[in-house]
Amino acid sequence: MKTLVKGGRLVDPVQGIDALRDVLIENGFVTRIGEHLDPDDARIVDAAHAIVAPGFVDMHVHLREPGQTHKETIATGTAAAVAGGFAAVACMPNTEPALDSAAIVSEVVRRADAAGLARVYPVGAITRARAGRELAPYHLLADAGCVAFSDDGSTPRDARVLRHAARYAADLPTVFISHCEDPDLKGDAVMNEGAASVRLGLDGAPGLAEDVIVARDLLIAADAEKAWHIAHVSTATSLDLIRWARSRGVQVTCEVTPHHLVFVDDRFDDYRADSKVNPPLRGSHDRDALRAGVLDGTIDALATDHAPHGLDEKAQLLSVAPVGFSGLEVAVGAYALALPGLPLARFVELLSVNPARILGVPGGTLGVGSPGDVTIFADRPWTVDARLFRSKGRNTPFDGMTLPRRAVATIVEGAVVFEHGRVLPREDVTA
Amino acid sequence: MPPRSLLDVDDLSNEELVAVLDRAVAFGDALPSRDLLAGVPVLNLFFEASTRTATSFTLAEQRVGADVISFAPGTSSLGKGETIADTALTLRGIGVRVIVVRHPESGFARRLADAFDGHVINAGDGTHAHPTQALLDLMTLRQEFGRFDGLHVAIVGDILHSRVARSNIVGMRALGIDVTLIGPPTLLPRDFAQAGVRIERDLDAILPRLDAVMMLRIQRERIEAGLLPSLDDYTQRFQLNRARLRALRDDAVILHPGPYNRGVELTDEVLDDPRSRYVAQVHNGVFVRMAVLDLLVNGVPVAA
Repeated sequence: MKTLVKGGRLVDPVQGIDALRDVLIENGFVTRIGEHLDPDDARIVDAAHAIVAPGFVDMHVHLREPGQTHKETIATGTAAAVAGGFAAVACMPNTEPALDSAAIVSEVVRRADAAGLARVYPVGAITRARAGRELAPYHLLADAGCVAFSDDGSTPRDARVLRHAARYAADLPTVFISHCEDPDLKGDAVMNEGAASVRLGLDGAPGLAEDVIVARDLLIAADAEKAWHIAHVSTATSLDLIRWARSRGVQVTCEVTPHHLVFVDDRFDDYRADSKVNPPLRGSHDRDALRAGVLDGTIDALATDHAPHGLDEKAQLLSVAPVGFSGLEVAVGAYALALPGLPLARFVELLSVNPARILGVPGGTLGVGSPGDVTIFADRPWTVDARLFRSKGRNTPFDGMTLPRRAVATIVEGAVVFEHGRVLPREDVTA
Repeated sequence: MPPRSLLDVDDLSNEELVAVLDRAVAFGDALPSRDLLAGVPVLNLFFEASTRTATSFTLAEQRVGADVISFAPGTSSLGKGETIADTALTLRGIGVRVIVVRHPESGFARRLADAFDGHVINAGDGTHAHPTQALLDLMTLRQEFGRFDGLHVAIVGDILHSRVARSNIVGMRALGIDVTLIGPPTLLPRDFAQAGVRIERDLDAILPRLDAVMMLRIQRERIEAGLLPSLDDYTQRFQLNRARLRALRDDAVILHPGPYNRGVELTDEVLDDPRSRYVAQVHNGVFVRMAVLDLLVNGVPVAA
């Protein structure tokens, strides 16, 4: 099978290419890059007036399967991924049951293969059932396909457990990912603590709830000499702590979401849960620091924290409605909206090169011999209509907004899985 | 155009606010005929226990001739199965035109009003707002001083958890009253500061300068939550008592939204003090609520 991506502007920072180039993929791998390639019997993907990049990797999504398939399935989540320009996603372990055994991880991998869309990289739990007490079997999980470990939304309260986990897993290259929120400082918060929460009479979580766990986990990372990744950083202080840790030689990376880059905590006057998310949308000081952190290189990766829920669930009272919302299908546009001055090469680094490197997975470049995973995107404004999402989660604070950039086509292992607004499972094109 | 619903004081323009107070005064002087809301079905929907507010609303509704239905569903029945939208649709279908609602969650009245094709009056939502309480406080202040602009009022105590404080801040600022908030940092975070609203920690320093002081209730659960060390430690700094009464000007007044805890935020002497206006406040409450019902349903415009 041959696929030719033709006429696009190839932006591949690993190869140092930013030029009009055609890319030929054969049997799943890149075989040629050149001007005006014209092989026989290749499937042509027209990339004229668009940008061609190594496949985007979203290192933070929730696919909800197993256990919460009314919110999302691996099939619908990966359809959303490729429609948003992502050739690969790393899925968080807060499923039911949690991704804490090789059997469950293998089943996720099998279902992802059956879906035939984006590559799915499971993130295994750090503790069994994410309960913060007993260690998960890291080597077995890694063998089953886990590319990282995280207890996701529930950080281990017991620092001793986390320290032993990090020390036990230190000889694996697999990174630990921390969702940093102190459950005691956070309390019953539904939004950020600040003038808005005080005015509305809503419980707010201080940025401090994030900062103290970032500090703790970075110190544990240093102690255990374990590579660490801080998920969805939301405060200026977290970034300062990460800079400090790097200056001390700690191997730490971090990501930021589209919503933390775009929105602040002024979205709760209607008391709806559409913008309820963990960590919460912060004030403009933090939001501006995150944007600066992307531009100055402190932030390594852009990740969506795609967290789909049913509309009925999100319509509940603010206190009981679940946290999070869909992100995959708006992310490329939302990042461009938040970071208008970001050079394209840096954009591709944040969405492809760096997340692939952090997770230790193939991709991040379209050099000859690399996987044939391609994201084609264009600066064409469009208006978000969440009703049209492939994700089952049709809730997003971006609904109705006009975004400046969008995914045009997505190729995984040489198979065109998204083009002309349609999602095309792999068996359809290989038949 | 008067507002469809009253969720907080700032749903009213200053003109409407003054008109409501004028109307309330008029109702106090002479009760209106019972046909102002004749036959209008009004539902009192109290998810949270209330004695004074529920009684006051019920009497106000009866005095304007409404068909009054009262229902105390308990906190759990909504949110379990039926959604807010379904509930609103059902109640409108039955024929309810006005819902007076109290709920322990901030924003509940707003969520209900957004789904209900009728009038909603917020009788208290979580720690957010209690607009008719603020209106009756403003009515009491106006009876006392005949003006708002330039008055200096302090609100003392657990501001963070007080919907009365929040609604009073909104109403007082709109009318040009200088507001000072007083309490410990755990119950009065800096984020309350805004134009015209100052934060102070020293009640004794402020008392002699006030036209009115509003004492909020202190609940013991704040100690269990780790926000206060003890009631003694609190009262030593913030209780209104015999000694502090001497610092208060003769022409100042003392307000309390009730229910009060004798011996905590205030002592028995305070309630007996001639400057205390607690009875006037609850008395005014009925007339203010009559005026709000009249404004929302009849859109009574009012020449001031």
